[in-house]
Amino acid sequence: MSEQLDRGRAIHPAATMYAEECLAGDLSRREFLARTTALGVSAAAAYSLIGLSPAEAGGHLASAPMGGDLRIQMSVRAGKDPRTYDWNELANMTRGIAEYLIELNPDGTFTGVLLESWEANDDATQYTLNVRPGVTFNNGDAFTAAHVAANFEAWCETEVEGNSMATRMGALIAEGGTSAAEGAIVVVDDLTVQLNLQRPDIVIVPAMAEYPGAIQHMDYIGQDPVSHGVGTGAYRIARHEVGVGALLEKNPDHTYWGTAYLDTIEFIDLGTDPAAWFAGADAGEFDMTYETVGEFIEIFDAIGWTQYETPTAATIVLRPNQSSEPYNDPRVRQAINMAVDLQEVLELGYDNRGSVAENHHVAPIHPEYAEIEPVAVDKEGALALLTEAGYADHVFEITSLDGGFERPTTDAYAAQLRDAGFNVERVIIPGSTFWNDWLNYPLSSTGWNGRVLGVEIYNLAYRSGVAWNEAGYANPDFDALLDQANGIQNSEERRAIMAQLQTILRDDAVVCQPYWRSLYRHAQPNVVNAFMHPKFEINPHYLGIEA
Amino acid sequence: MALFILKRIGVMALTALCLTFVVFFLTNLQPNLEKLAKTQGNARMTDAEVASWLDRNGYGGSMVSRYGEWLGVRPGWTLIDEETGEVTGRCVDLGDSLEDAPRFCGVLQGDLGYSTVSDDEVSSIVGGRLALTGKLMFWAFIIMVPAALLVGVLAGMREGSRLDRSLSTFAIATTATPEYVSGVIFIVLLASSQTGISPLLAEWGWIEGRTLFQGSARQAMDGANFWNFTLPVMTIALYGMGYIARMTRASMAEVMTAQYIRTARLKGVSFRKIVLKHALRNALIAPFTVIMLQFPWLLTGVVIVETLFNYNGFGWTLVQAASNNDIELLLTCSIVAVLVVLITQLISDIGYVFLNPRIRIS
Repeated sequence: MSEQLDRGRAIHPAATMYAEECLAGDLSRREFLARTTALGVSAAAAYSLIGLSPAEAGGHLASAPMGGDLRIQMSVRAGKDPRTYDWNELANMTRGIAEYLIELNPDGTFTGVLLESWEANDDATQYTLNVRPGVTFNNGDAFTAAHVAANFEAWCETEVEGNSMATRMGALIAEGGTSAAEGAIVVVDDLTVQLNLQRPDIVIVPAMAEYPGAIQHMDYIGQDPVSHGVGTGAYRIARHEVGVGALLEKNPDHTYWGTAYLDTIEFIDLGTDPAAWFAGADAGEFDMTYETVGEFIEIFDAIGWTQYETPTAATIVLRPNQSSEPYNDPRVRQAINMAVDLQEVLELGYDNRGSVAENHHVAPIHPEYAEIEPVAVDKEGALALLTEAGYADHVFEITSLDGGFERPTTDAYAAQLRDAGFNVERVIIPGSTFWNDWLNYPLSSTGWNGRVLGVEIYNLAYRSGVAWNEAGYANPDFDALLDQANGIQNSEERRAIMAQLQTILRDDAVVCQPYWRSLYRHAQPNVVNAFMHPKFEINPHYLGIEA
Repeated sequence: MALFILKRIGVMALTALCLTFVVFFLTNLQPNLEKLAKTQGNARMTDAEVASWLDRNGYGGSMVSRYGEWLGVRPGWTLIDEETGEVTGRCVDLGDSLEDAPRFCGVLQGDLGYSTVSDDEVSSIVGGRLALTGKLMFWAFIIMVPAALLVGVLAGMREGSRLDRSLSTFAIATTATPEYVSGVIFIVLLASSQTGISPLLAEWGWIEGRTLFQGSARQAMDGANFWNFTLPVMTIALYGMGYIARMTRASMAEVMTAQYIRTARLKGVSFRKIVLKHALRNALIAPFTVIMLQFPWLLTGVVIVETLFNYNGFGWTLVQAASNNDIELLLTCSIVAVLVVLITQLISDIGYVFLNPRIRIS
């Protein structure tokens, strides 16, 4: 069966194992799809493995009539080297030009874009990437394995400032090295690239779909696609003015390998105030939002726009920084977490548009999520513990961004602490300065985007000494277990370790994490494929307008 | 006269110098530079990366020397990458090579610098934005000045009458309502499909679209029309109008009590003729200065209105430059603001001489 499904290629042994787990109910369908497609099994084959019609795979994309002009409200920033992208909006702006090797679908599966397929060996130390044949760059050059290899090399350059792909490509970099290890990236033939990892790594495939992973022509690596304009996509940038707008138009001199419906896509930047976005929508200035937030979700519904929702592993954490007093005392952190009723924070801070989280930053939609006992709220116990630690009179200064979902959520969190009898002071900092110092506030809230795997988050934010470890958390036991988890493909085995990791993180009261966000987007009813993406992706090639 | 203008230009240059230094000082404070590095590099850079970024991009030297570079009295910085031998510098891009490039490239050489946020030359940004604001200001003046003069003259010709009281109330109300209040009220009343009168009008079929006016002036940048440009223009015009009308009224009322007006009346000249022929010209001298003085006020109003209505002109650019710590763009905005204010004052002073022959510039 598997051979028929996957056009003669054998299905990864782990995939069939996952299928059994999924059918037995140990693994949710979403988790199953994310895991198996990451191993290179096509989405259609993955659906078949669990007895569903392959037609359901890829069914999220509808076809649209050719032509049309679409306007999207989104902030327009100055272009730069894609490796250093720090905003999803940047990737959306250039996705019509610089495409990706693979992409994450809203249902959690991965499909190839510039890769036709990929396979992992049994212990996830070697990946074979099959490049899509017949793809050309808009300057006429053929897209080959050499270009793919060059991009991987570039991603591994750790010394390029702000190159966030380097962290994700860690398994290709020798210990202490600043570029790809010898023999890690091998061009087998024109259409095949082989990755030889230094250690087993299962997050390298999700990493290729991350927004800084835009594929550049090998001669233009390190440069800004907005200015050089070379890529495989169907569009080109006709106008680009930072903070004002950008216009993509179909490139008439280029034969695109896939289908692209729209003639033009215009990004319109209406600033950061959602009220201004709504005023723009009311005035008919655009057809689709990048994201709709808070109370404006209902208001956009009211003017007859279509709502799209996606549950995500995006979240907010309220973290004490353990390198500052009094948060170096675990009792203080535990007291804080005991005092906060997470459900209340979700209702008051985010209008109940999400699901309650459990203070350990692994979401139920993560494949390796382990269910551990629920969070207990004990306000009196919290104050008692705080008094015992000797900080009953301490004034807790809680910092947050001014606006977005961060501010009301942090307000609700502060209110919970006040309820429990803590002395609380709120500090609100505008977005333009908040990020200058986000790692160092003693107690503050941070919005985190979702990652596909739970271990990805742990590697990024909770391992000792990593760049984004905003809680200042350093626990050798945790690191050791995490190393172990990183090398395990079997979700059951990994889940056992994850249960320990989640418990350690929660017992150490590293973060208070009230909820997982659902994300929303609105579009005029005639926009095709405007669905919300868990990572805010907008792919101009998929969008269309119904006649 | 020539000496007077020369003096004024000297004052202008001195003001611009002081103001730009203050702006330069504030935007170059360490936390602001850090912010700049993070917006330009990566929002989540470490402190070491920030320091290295600042050094490599010419923010390393002392503040005064960097101000000198911007001004064009000190040679621009250059840096040679030890590994690649690549030369970067303030003025390097202007020539083909380091030898070719000019040593100085500052405001005095006509180079306004580089906007870090827009990733473009400041000079190529500011021009278009100023033109957009010019359009907005022009229409605001076209509405504001005649309306204000009319209201002021009507109110002032019979001081204390019912007409005077009602027009004065209107004028005080408009001038007491700042743009950020009147703009919001306009949007709520006239440009929302949910509140105000637009839903009613749409229900009755009196308007074609969903709203009477547009609450966003973005489309007005390319093609301004009655529908999308009315609200921003009205918001600016109303605020200035009340003030000018009050001044005109006071001046008119004073003229109407003058001896020669009484003489004309006693001679039996009709009231209409007195107002139009004898009172008006004298009454308009004071409002003229006030109108010119409105320019600086309008400039602040433009900042609010353009941001409120998402009209990407000069005021909006100023806000963006300030919030993104876009140093050279902000400095250029300051220079432009100084020029606008002082040139309008110059025109006002010179114009005054022509309107009122008793005044001499000495």
